[in-house]
Amino acid sequence: MSVNRYQPHVLVLPEDDANRQLANGFLLDQSLSTRKIQVLEEAGGWNEVLDRFKSDHVIELDRYPQRFMVLLIDFDGREDRLGTARAVIPDHLKDRVFVLGAWSEPEALRQDLGSYETIGLAMAKDCREETDATWGHHLLRHNAGELDRLRKHVLPILFQSI
Amino acid sequence: MIRRLYIHNFRCLENFELPIVGHSSVLLIGKNGSGKTTVSLALEILQRIARGTNLVKDLVKPKDFARGRADVPMRFEIEVELDTKIYEYVIAFEFPEGFKQLRVLEEKLAVGGKPVYSRELAQVRLAKTSQGKEAEFFIDWHLVALPIVQEQPTKGPLFIFKQWLARMLILRPIPSLIRGDSDQETLQPNLQVTDFGAWFSGLVAYAPAAYTKIDEYLKQVMPDLKDIKNPMIGTDSRSLVVQFSNNQGSLSLPFEELSDGEKCFMICALALAANNVYGPVLCFWDEPDNYLALDEVGHFVLALRKAFQSGGQLIATSHNPEAIRCFSEENTLVLYRKGHLEPTIVRPLSEIQISGDLVSALIRGDVEP
Repeated sequence: MSVNRYQPHVLVLPEDDANRQLANGFLLDQSLSTRKIQVLEEAGGWNEVLDRFKSDHVIELDRYPQRFMVLLIDFDGREDRLGTARAVIPDHLKDRVFVLGAWSEPEALRQDLGSYETIGLAMAKDCREETDATWGHHLLRHNAGELDRLRKHVLPILFQSI
Repeated sequence: MIRRLYIHNFRCLENFELPIVGHSSVLLIGKNGSGKTTVSLALEILQRIARGTNLVKDLVKPKDFARGRADVPMRFEIEVELDTKIYEYVIAFEFPEGFKQLRVLEEKLAVGGKPVYSRELAQVRLAKTSQGKEAEFFIDWHLVALPIVQEQPTKGPLFIFKQWLARMLILRPIPSLIRGDSDQETLQPNLQVTDFGAWFSGLVAYAPAAYTKIDEYLKQVMPDLKDIKNPMIGTDSRSLVVQFSNNQGSLSLPFEELSDGEKCFMICALALAANNVYGPVLCFWDEPDNYLALDEVGHFVLALRKAFQSGGQLIATSHNPEAIRCFSEENTLVLYRKGHLEPTIVRPLSEIQISGDLVSALIRGDVEP
């Protein structure tokens, strides 16, 4: 049985291969309930993430109230990227959708922190242990607000220890 | 953990080294005929040696030489780290003119750099024991020495290595052939897992706690699973029965009536339990996504990857986009051949330039080392 759509679960929509690999690493954390999260096919760009979210996922989020979504996009150094992405999310779904990503692009993150899977694993460890060794990196710390919301609503679904 | 796997002059593998050191799980991708399954065939030869096959003609044949090139030895070398010790096993075969079958040219087992035995053609040299004894003897050059050499103490390095090699899981299941019957127990299932019942019996007899592991995985995949029973159905035989229940009632099904995909869940559960109770195990699963529903593939592959993360090693092959997406560029190896007259080339995906996403590039046929 795949993720149970009638129980709390999380879908991750990555912008590209690099973000998908970050998500892969996150899912490899031993304490994470793999069957409560599913990584979807790469959208092919941050705009495409938003387009696909609007066309495919808004309706499904309405249909499955236990569903949460994480949009994994590159911020490309743009201060307005989070606002642009959040603007696409209907108000009644804003509590269940999260926008996360590297400040420039994950390639830059990889130069500092190792392979994408290693970074993803370290991100999961931070979430589980409520630390910010990786999330505090200068290319990730802009996610603090979204991460706070994620810690409150989503991480307890994924990590039984939280 | 395999540190090195080198194969030369065997089918499409020439001077071939699989770069998997340091990876708990890797995915082999590549077009049909690129050599993915041939890697498992090479491992299978080593496994069969460890399981007791010692007649060279039962292991390799003249047609196995790359492009029939019988004037060059066929070579298999494996280096494994088990419990901080490094085991190195080498075997090379040759096919001299006038011979009807191949013979052993060279064979060697070393632990921590020190030889346990070495061999050239028929002459085998056993290394000095703690009593300072060294021995030499002759063996038919059409026999492999590893299954025959008896080391003292009996649970020493030779035993440990042979057991590890024999217990490798090389899986290419054909669910329609898998029934739940067994008249013996084993920890060494065959490639098609047609002896599933014997493997289940062996695993649970070896470590009853294995059932908890099996149950834990299966209840995530099939929440209405109640239990698996393995009752006697004759003097020496058993047959697996799977029981499901929910608030509407319960249902008992003979194992053989499960769907192909459900049988694969069962195999996965046993592989996870095997690695847990008698691991670390090397598991080579040829296309683990076969027979699975699309929404199950990712969970299935991730469950395997996570289980082998804390010990053992998983090598999978796949053409399935969902399975491919469960791996990343550092643990995906691309196998490639320009044609049937060319050998297999292997490169980590991280060393290959890809435009756009990987699956699209694979569909376009643009992933080439």
